[in-house]
Amino acid sequence: MKINRVGLLTSNRPPAEHVLRDVNEAPERLLGKGYILKTANRRAVSAALAGLAGALTMMAGPTDAAILSVPTGAEQRSPLFGATPFKARIVLVEEFGTSDYTGIEAPAIDPKSGAPATLGLPEAVATFGFDLDPCHGTPRPSALDDIIKMTGLYPLPGELANEELQAGGGFKHGNPWQALIKDCLGGDDPLIAEMDMPMDGRPWGEDFKHQRWSEFAPKKFFQAIMAGARTSGGARDRYQSHGYGKDLIGFSEFGPNGLYHNTVTSPYAPGVDSPLWATPKDAPATVEGTYIKAFEGTTKGIPVRVNPLNPNWPIQDPNSVWTFDGTIPLHLLMARYAEPILFRHHNALPIVNDVSSNMGFGTHTISTHAHNMHNPAESDGFAGAWFYPGQFYDYHWPLVLAGHDSINTDATDPRASTPCTPGEAFNGVTCPATGIIKVPGDFREIQSTLWFHDHMEDYTAQNVYKGNAAVMNIYSGIDRGNEDFNCRTTAEPTLSETNLNLCLPSGTAKSWGNRDYDVNLVVADKAFDANGQLWFNPLNKGGFLGDVMTVNMVYKPYMDVRSRRYRFRILNGSVSRYQKIAVVDQNGVQVPFHLIANDGNIMEHSVAFPNTEAGTGLPTQSIAERYDIIVDFAPLYAKGIRKVYLVNLMEHAVGDGPKAPVTLAQAWNAFNGNNKTGYNGADLAIGKFMEFRLRPMPAGLTDKSMNPALYTETVVDAVTKKTVPGRVMLPMPTFTAAELAAAKHRTFVYGKKPDALNDGTKPWTLATDGGVGLNADLARISAAPVKNSVEIWHLKGTSGGWSHPAHIHFEEGQIINKRNAADTGNIAVPSWERFGRKDMYRLGAEVNSAGRIDIAIRVRDFTGSYVEHCHNTQHEDNAMLLRWDSENADHASWVRTPHPEWDGPHYDEVHNGLPGSTYKLPTADTGSKTTTEAKNFALPAAFGKPRANTGVAPK
Amino acid sequence: MTINARIKAAGRAAKAGLILLAGLAANLGGSPVWAVPAGSPWGANYFPNVELVDQDGHTVRFYDDLIKDKVFAINFIYTRCTASCPIETAALRKVAKALGERMGRDIFFYTISIDGNRDNPQVLKEYASRFNTGPGWTFLTGRKEDVTRIREKLGMYREDGKPEKELGEHSIVILMGNERGGQWIKRSPFDNPEALARILDTRMLARRGTSGKSEVTAHAAAVMPASPGEELFQSQCANCHSLGADDNLGPGLAGVVQRRDRGWLKRWLKEPDRMIAGKDPTALALYDQYRQVPMPNLKLSDREIDTLIALMEQHP
Repeated sequence: MKINRVGLLTSNRPPAEHVLRDVNEAPERLLGKGYILKTANRRAVSAALAGLAGALTMMAGPTDAAILSVPTGAEQRSPLFGATPFKARIVLVEEFGTSDYTGIEAPAIDPKSGAPATLGLPEAVATFGFDLDPCHGTPRPSALDDIIKMTGLYPLPGELANEELQAGGGFKHGNPWQALIKDCLGGDDPLIAEMDMPMDGRPWGEDFKHQRWSEFAPKKFFQAIMAGARTSGGARDRYQSHGYGKDLIGFSEFGPNGLYHNTVTSPYAPGVDSPLWATPKDAPATVEGTYIKAFEGTTKGIPVRVNPLNPNWPIQDPNSVWTFDGTIPLHLLMARYAEPILFRHHNALPIVNDVSSNMGFGTHTISTHAHNMHNPAESDGFAGAWFYPGQFYDYHWPLVLAGHDSINTDATDPRASTPCTPGEAFNGVTCPATGIIKVPGDFREIQSTLWFHDHMEDYTAQNVYKGNAAVMNIYSGIDRGNEDFNCRTTAEPTLSETNLNLCLPSGTAKSWGNRDYDVNLVVADKAFDANGQLWFNPLNKGGFLGDVMTVNMVYKPYMDVRSRRYRFRILNGSVSRYQKIAVVDQNGVQVPFHLIANDGNIMEHSVAFPNTEAGTGLPTQSIAERYDIIVDFAPLYAKGIRKVYLVNLMEHAVGDGPKAPVTLAQAWNAFNGNNKTGYNGADLAIGKFMEFRLRPMPAGLTDKSMNPALYTETVVDAVTKKTVPGRVMLPMPTFTAAELAAAKHRTFVYGKKPDALNDGTKPWTLATDGGVGLNADLARISAAPVKNSVEIWHLKGTSGGWSHPAHIHFEEGQIINKRNAADTGNIAVPSWERFGRKDMYRLGAEVNSAGRIDIAIRVRDFTGSYVEHCHNTQHEDNAMLLRWDSENADHASWVRTPHPEWDGPHYDEVHNGLPGSTYKLPTADTGSKTTTEAKNFALPAAFGKPRANTGVAPK
Repeated sequence: MTINARIKAAGRAAKAGLILLAGLAANLGGSPVWAVPAGSPWGANYFPNVELVDQDGHTVRFYDDLIKDKVFAINFIYTRCTASCPIETAALRKVAKALGERMGRDIFFYTISIDGNRDNPQVLKEYASRFNTGPGWTFLTGRKEDVTRIREKLGMYREDGKPEKELGEHSIVILMGNERGGQWIKRSPFDNPEALARILDTRMLARRGTSGKSEVTAHAAAVMPASPGEELFQSQCANCHSLGADDNLGPGLAGVVQRRDRGWLKRWLKEPDRMIAGKDPTALALYDQYRQVPMPNLKLSDREIDTLIALMEQHP
């Protein structure tokens, strides 16, 4: 018996790569490929489909159907509803946008919305069209937009969490949802009925007090609401600093004649409204829909749909996807140094976790981690400091350079600076013509590309996957996001106030923070259930793999680019998937590009790719790693190239860790049905996942951005033809010999695969300083480095087959040594790691990674509770996490461990027989030099010393 | 609903399921009754609704009777196991104690044997009584392929999909869940039992709230670090032993360093399973004295054993 392909293809066509080998296959095979459509639920697909599903189910029987081998762990592969790659345009990230904090008042009537600002979060309501009662629902979209538009905050943030009690009992500022919450939880239970619930979710008391609150008083604030998916109301249009071209003097790609003025459709898309300047139009078959004028200069109307204009792909339900504001585009925070930000994060997630409110994954409590900002611990997003629906948490991000207290404390080094617009009033002074204001701290610690995301204990993977992730760019004098303003003319270290700007590709319309040619790309694999709703398997703790590649939440998008240099800030936003990305032209040939930042930190030198050190494409990129690259499309355009692709090479069979990269040719020809020429395995994330369409430069405009080739470690002098040292982008921070000699050593061993107790190891553990392997216990301090000290940490993971992308919060490290997969000998530290600071360290046997990584790390400026963990977030959620605290030298004060509940965080009085909840490993204060790893550690002579900055001046 | 009532209801549902199964092809718009409800993101067959038998000989279905709409903890053991299983059971026992009256009312424990050939209801019942388990905790057994299916779907079989070579390879994980809420947390039996109880109570049940402000004390003064031995003892030993004179599942350890020969003690910590198998008289006597709950082989290193003995020396 054969399946009628037409029926499948017309009503629910699988993606091209799914289809290729399926024609005329037996129904059993088709079942194996997951073409069974589940019986329809309330979002019913057509009756014809239901009939087909029934027929297939009948043929195979329910038991057989359960034996499937789908990487996601689902019973079917994700349906794509006829979508094919590269027809949807990417949706670029949208700024949260910040408002002036100084002078804000509370309570207030909001002048814009007219709504009283005293109400707090508007109450959840029954969600129209989704059959959800208020306990499972989410506030009205218009009410959420009112919060976004508000210019005030109520109650005002303070140094301590708002825990004020009122005379008659209860909190002065109670959870605005309190009555509803009690109803939903069961109001007849006296324990619940008597509860007083605070509005402020931050743990009360000294432990989570904002450090250095008045010293780093907020200058800007923004609010965002974690909420179920909804169509954007365009509430943040007003906050876009490019203003979609309004009020900008220079040319902007976000302006009316730019590539990105329209947020959803390309100006090259066909259609009667399509702008005349963009010609010739793309063929209709290559784009989804036609040009839609309504998306010019606004995000209003963008649905949360993985293929925004494909009507066959269901819009995501509010219980499937939870994002910042409940909307896409993904959000971007643009920040600059010396402008501290107060981020009020509201939680409007469903009061009751239920399959009807969360689609079977994700939890409604959150804790937002700023990965990897130099932040005080109470604003780091501690895994145990979560907050509840109806509540908010005020995160205070000081935007100070590391070394604020110890280096350049008088702010005299212009390289440590923040960008400003000449004439702008900034922090009480007028921004000078140089466009920078000097700040204290170590300029070598400048950070550029970050993200923030949920860090809820046990639920990080699910909640981040569900949409709790945003990106963040920090701007500085050196990386200001303007490519034609005080660009570099001299070499390090003689930079002056008027020539320190690296002039990375960005734009020129604004004095700083241009994103015309500086693009955040969040790459993530997703899976969908038979109804097209986001699907996740929280039970698969070895690692979760999606079978649908997305960029910025859009299925295999395309993007218009000019024939010029671009900076792409690529974040691996997956749960468990490692990637290895090649940049390839339309003929399958790798194109040259440069890596300029590793984990968001500008490197000492740029690194040219492709290169033999990394193999094909970029180095392996684990979850949460960021690679900033510069691609120059101009020479490609001149050669007639019109399309360039991002191609994923790294194959996964399971989520525990990657297998190995496939060849470029195999990936390029993936799913062509021919095993000799193409990859045709089970991993649908292999191959092209993003397409760049090259467009001509606007008339009269030239590319002013820096040439990254001048900044490689060595360059060939144009005149003498001799190889000479290349220029330095940003020197590495240094360590003195005395500091390294005095450094405390700590050893962290990431546990073996959790197969059994038989092999003598405990599963899912981190073992500290030779101790036993332990699961996460947020009350346990495993390490307590002293603030303003240097330490050497040995991160080890020789588990064989399991890979662990280790992440250390708060401070960047420098890699001293890398050891082979079995930790029996050193391997070379590649250039991109010698030149860069890291917060992610890949432990594993895969290419470019290591069995052990020794790092030097400085802990500075703030104290409190941070964590270190495996960033395969399914491993993390299986308790592969430890707490470490930055402490003062006397170790006298410990942060108590909060246990947040509806009525506020509780602190235990007794834990393990000791006073106070918090306890320490015996080695927490001392570290250990007696572990094997510490004993066989050898410090390379050159490590930590300043390298000669002898770069030649650029042309 | 009591367990018996649930089992009766389950029996009815199971019978109904068989009838409906035959009629499925005609039942296109509905959901198969042997599985999760229509519209569930899991897919109809994700959770195997296979039959298991409890320690009292009652037949239950995994999905309908055990996890559907319930808050629960699930683990897998086999009664002959001398390594991890007794630790798991001992750990869960402490968790159950901490949950008090919620056990059997709001929260259910399921310990499922992976050794269905040997672990019949009678064996399971004896096992449960040896550990003196309380209400709300069901021990179950079933056909090996059914139990394996459950483990695979719960992500508690070998991750690489290869078959286990021996029972001792089984993963030692405690799965805590709220099926209706889509809430699932996996933790290790080596976790602090209080922490596990807190997860079941605060996270899974999600109904608790104790008025917080009153229990607050001043910022805790710094306490001295626990010794390496204490940390080890807490995670490996404390579920069965106290350092005092009080017996628990195993004997109180006060004075044990005086009571036992040092070499014997070291070996007992190192390979108790082999000493019991080798019929060491003291080992056998202990085994019998403590309800035949075997001292598990914890795969301790020599250094860890020395550390533990050093700790016990502080408790004469």
